[in-house]
Amino acid sequence: MKKSPQLERLEQTLRSSRLSARGFLGDDKRSLYEILDADASVVASLGYTMKQIAARMQEITDAARKGLGDWVDVDKNLLAWASDARGIIACPWPHAFRADKTVITVERTDSGKSIQWADLNVHLIAEHGFFQGKGSAFRLEPRDLVEIIF
Amino acid sequence: MSEVLRSALISVGVISGVGAFLALLLVIAERFIANYGEVKIDINKGDKELTVQGGGSLLETLASQKIFIPSACGGRGTCAYCKVKVAEGVGPILPTEEPYLDDTERKEGVRLACQVKVRQELKIAIPEELLAIKEYNCVCERIKDLTYDIKELRLKLPEPMKYTPGQYIQFRAPKYKGSPGEVYRAYSISSDPKDEGYVELVIRKVPGGICTTYIFEHLAEGDEILINGPYGEFGLTDTRASMIFIAGGSGIAPIKCLLHQIANDGVNRKGIFFFGVRALKDLFMTDEMEAFEKEIPDFRFVPALSQPEEKDDWKGETGRITEVVARYLDSQKDASEYEGYLCGSPGMIDASVAVLTDSGIPAERIFYDKFA
Ligand SMILES: Cc1cc2nc3c(=O)[nH]c(=O)nc-3n(C[C@H](O)[C@H](O)[C@H](O)COP(=O)(O)OP(=O)(O)OC[C@H]3O[C@@H](n4cnc5c(N)ncnc54)[C@H](O)[C@@H]3O)c2cc1C
Ligand SMILES: [Zn+2]
Repeated sequence: MKKSPQLERLEQTLRSSRLSARGFLGDDKRSLYEILDADASVVASLGYTMKQIAARMQEITDAARKGLGDWVDVDKNLLAWASDARGIIACPWPHAFRADKTVITVERTDSGKSIQWADLNVHLIAEHGFFQGKGSAFRLEPRDLVEIIF
Repeated sequence: MSEVLRSALISVGVISGVGAFLALLLVIAERFIANYGEVKIDINKGDKELTVQGGGSLLETLASQKIFIPSACGGRGTCAYCKVKVAEGVGPILPTEEPYLDDTERKEGVRLACQVKVRQELKIAIPEELLAIKEYNCVCERIKDLTYDIKELRLKLPEPMKYTPGQYIQFRAPKYKGSPGEVYRAYSISSDPKDEGYVELVIRKVPGGICTTYIFEHLAEGDEILINGPYGEFGLTDTRASMIFIAGGSGIAPIKCLLHQIANDGVNRKGIFFFGVRALKDLFMTDEMEAFEKEIPDFRFVPALSQPEEKDDWKGETGRITEVVARYLDSQKDASEYEGYLCGSPGMIDASVAVLTDSGIPAERIFYDKFA
């Protein structure tokens, strides 16, 4: 696919570490298009939509936030806590969206598996279908994520 | 192409439609008038006049003249902190500014300094405090581990900084391996204002954070550090009201600075400081706080653990800091006589404000950094 200058610029922003240490693409050699496409296929094969995944993440995020830094029982098998840094981080896509610098840690009590995401991840998945590149500090594997949160 | 992928790419494509056309026009226009030459900027009706190279954003142009306007997004027009009144010399409000300006601000000519370009003579108004902001080339004299994820930095200033206790500075993390650009981040001053040649900061490591990764993994004692400041309106009032301080984790920093001020100036007010952390391994600065208890006539320090570990063998207060505060205020005859001073995450601030107002403390007597 031939890249538009806009897509080219977005990819540059995502690769740079101006907004995120190590960048949103980490050391992933694939193009943004390939990353989005691959994750979209995985999500579809798991029988979920991006919106469903993001909505569930938001639900867990909201519950964790209420703990003010403590572990919270989200539901029967799920614990979560929110670590909040003061300040905001902007979405790398060319629109005005900013997220708190919050990191949510989620643990399943039945399997012991855990996962971490930042506030911004929820928006990136909901609006841009973007799970980030491999090696990014906040890359989420759709399969692991779905296994833990549903 | 899948539906999801299409919509993901469309969010870029929106710009490639109308936006790209406009952008192209702008690029062409810039080519013809790219050399703006020298331009004058008048600040606060003649208080200060700058002669600058035109063409850059107002934010970066002012910074090049050592005038620092707070900004948290690196000039991307998303944090909306860099608001400046522009009386003359700029065109209409840009689409990128639209979402951030309310009606009053529009009437007053408020603009986002990161979006406005310096192309011709400008007349602007900047709060006096911002003109007092200076850049300091410091030496990092000491790095101390306060906990496993919190460090204290002691920075030697080239000249004393005039600040009000409670204020913060902007710290520059330079380029380092894995981070090709410099960034600025805000940190509250925690040190004793009497200790004039120094500022101290209390910094918590943020997962995947650009500046804190620099501080925790690259910064060494003896390194040079660039900071600018002071900023912020958080500080002690001059009333006689009793004071309730609430902080979590690194939020202790500005509160410690206020306590130094209270001790130094012999402020004769009742004070109590609730400091919330999760477990014993997260608790720090207890010696300093106990010293304040001795030095300040009517002051108590109340650390509280919200989820102590078994091995902690903790005999002190337990529970979320807001619960501990609520219990205390319930036990007071007249809780409404207090003033609240808060520092912590946005969630903690919201929850603390709710507890204090529920106890009858009016919202206008509760203080914290507004954009914390
Ligand atoms: C007025 C004020 C005073 C402050 N005082 C203090 C203080 O005294 N002590 C202190 O410790 N802090 C303080 N802070 C916070 C501080 O300014 C910084 O925000 C904090 O240290 C984090 O900076 P950083 O560069 O390390 O993290 P950043 O790189 O700015 O942000 C890291 C966070 O952004 C998000 N993020 C980054 N990359 C991604 C990605 N790829 N995908 C999704 N999300 C991502 C995550 O939530 C991550 O945790 C203060 C803030 C303000 C506004
Ligand atoms: Zn976005």
